[in-house]
Amino acid sequence: MRSSLFQELTCSSSAIWGLVYKFVCICYRSLDRIFDIIYWPVISLMLWGFTSTFVSATSSVAGVMEFFLGGAVLWSLFWRAQTDVGTFILEDFWSRNVYNMFASPITSLELFLAIAIIGFLRCVLSFAFLSLLAWLLYAFNIFHIGGLALGAFTTVLLLFGWVIGIVIAALIFRYGLRIQVLAWSVGFLIQPFSCVFYPLESMPRWVQVIAVTLPTTHVFEGLRHAIATGELAVAPLLTALGLTILLLIASLLYFHYALLQAKRLGLLTRFEMA
Amino acid sequence: MSLLEIHDLRKRYGAVDALKGVSLAVERGEFFGLLGPNGAGKSTTINILLGLILADSGTIRIFGEDFATRQTAIRRRMNVAAAFTSLSGVLTVRENLKVYGGIYGVNNLNAKIDELLERFEITDLANRKLQYLSSGQHTRVTLCKGLINDPELLLLDECTLGLDPDIAEKTRRALQEFQREKLTTIIFTSHNMNEVEELCGRIAFLSKGEILRIDTAARIKGLIPQQILEVRFQPGEDLEAVRHLDGGFSPQHTGDSTFRFVLDEPETQLDAIMQRLVQTGARIADLQMTRPTLEDVFIKVARGEI
Ligand SMILES: Nc1ncnc2c1ncn2[C@@H]1O[C@H](COP(=O)(O)OP(=O)(O)O)[C@@H](O)[C@H]1O
Ligand SMILES: [Mg+2]
Repeated sequence: MRSSLFQELTCSSSAIWGLVYKFVCICYRSLDRIFDIIYWPVISLMLWGFTSTFVSATSSVAGVMEFFLGGAVLWSLFWRAQTDVGTFILEDFWSRNVYNMFASPITSLELFLAIAIIGFLRCVLSFAFLSLLAWLLYAFNIFHIGGLALGAFTTVLLLFGWVIGIVIAALIFRYGLRIQVLAWSVGFLIQPFSCVFYPLESMPRWVQVIAVTLPTTHVFEGLRHAIATGELAVAPLLTALGLTILLLIASLLYFHYALLQAKRLGLLTRFEMA
Repeated sequence: MSLLEIHDLRKRYGAVDALKGVSLAVERGEFFGLLGPNGAGKSTTINILLGLILADSGTIRIFGEDFATRQTAIRRRMNVAAAFTSLSGVLTVRENLKVYGGIYGVNNLNAKIDELLERFEITDLANRKLQYLSSGQHTRVTLCKGLINDPELLLLDECTLGLDPDIAEKTRRALQEFQREKLTTIIFTSHNMNEVEELCGRIAFLSKGEILRIDTAARIKGLIPQQILEVRFQPGEDLEAVRHLDGGFSPQHTGDSTFRFVLDEPETQLDAIMQRLVQTGARIADLQMTRPTLEDVFIKVARGEI
């Protein structure tokens, strides 16, 4: 017996409303989810703020402050996007709600549209908060790099964040909560290869080979380019965007496959998973 | 056309053969019982009907449509309440029900939620977080979720588990009322014979992944026609005459002054045996007729004795 992919692509606005309502409730009912938006980004901003204050006082490289703080703010956007997708899907595992959720008529499309809406709102909040803080604490105005550039960077980061979040959730559906730590570490693995705080050409050859395949690398390269020259390098960004959209489609297909596999193996009804 | 038609459903988990070709049809408005010991395959059947588990083979038609290809539309008109499952712990009862109301596209949601909370007598829990509820309270919230969309087909998997006897009784009443009002078709699984007998019209006996029999409780009990008469006499009575009672009743002496008679045709035999017992002159202290229970039948059916 097969459940067709086509059915998963229908959607109803009331179901999306129901899911968004759930996520909003979780956001203000759970301290963890409030911490996510404020605490961790602030820590990272302080870390890189102090580092760049020290480095720019002792080094002759221009724009160190902008590189580091711009990197920190944009990275936390990516991080937010990725963990939000993962946690909102997994929330149901943690509260043993998977059974009732997946017995309901929600489709994968509704689930992801709802997560995209809430994820987008949380990213906007988190980004606005961090930009303001960076400006207050270090007089760093991220909007100096230009509206278009910023829009392009954040779009790629948001979408690629969702790709990673979807893969993490799919892995956990397929292999259970016991691989949780492994699944989350996928996100950490991306950072050193994304050239967040250092240029691509300063990396060893083998790292570069991996780095260029990641959309994030092109964003942070583009960021440094924009800060240094005041111009937006369009071609690499378009490549990154195209790549991200392909990866997004692939990750959604993988999620669908993982869910199907979980249903075949009877994993969604095994409560000891949770 | 039946509301639900299952044909030759099979499911294997590794080495475990959970369903070995289950077929059944349930009509609109039936309160249908799925009865069987633990591990019989009741939950597996229910979970396949919910799309939570994919069967290896077999076909399912619900509301006249093919379940495999029309699942999403069909599932909007169904719902489930199952033991051991939960809703979101950090959300309140009302918030949880609003979420599911949205997912199932319920109109006049707030009024519907109030009505359900009242039905199950948990109105006072509306604003409590789910994670702080007792398991019995939890179970009733899950039932409210199961009824939120006035489902045409409602699956109840051991849904009274963990309720204390008083609440379990009230819950059964509430379910029966709901079913009568809305003419919901209900499939009710349980390993509790009394509960199934009380609620369900027809019952499917499931054992080791196979349906042994489908019928009403009364007719299933009719599979064992025998009734047992137990007679206790006053202490000190002379029971020799009872021991050698004629008429082919073959009395079994089971205790000090107690005898047991197996009546194959109770309607015709009871009168005759009572007259003979009176003629013996032994004074009777107590009488008891035991009718077969579903459980007796179930054991015999499972052992292949019927
Ligand atoms: N998700 C699952 N994964 C593996 N085995 C399962 C799963 N669900 C049920 N089983 C096995 O299938 C058989 C039938 O189980 P189940 O349908 O839960 O029975 P029941 O609900 O009648 O107690 C049991 O042997 C059980 O161990
Ligand atoms: Mg069960």
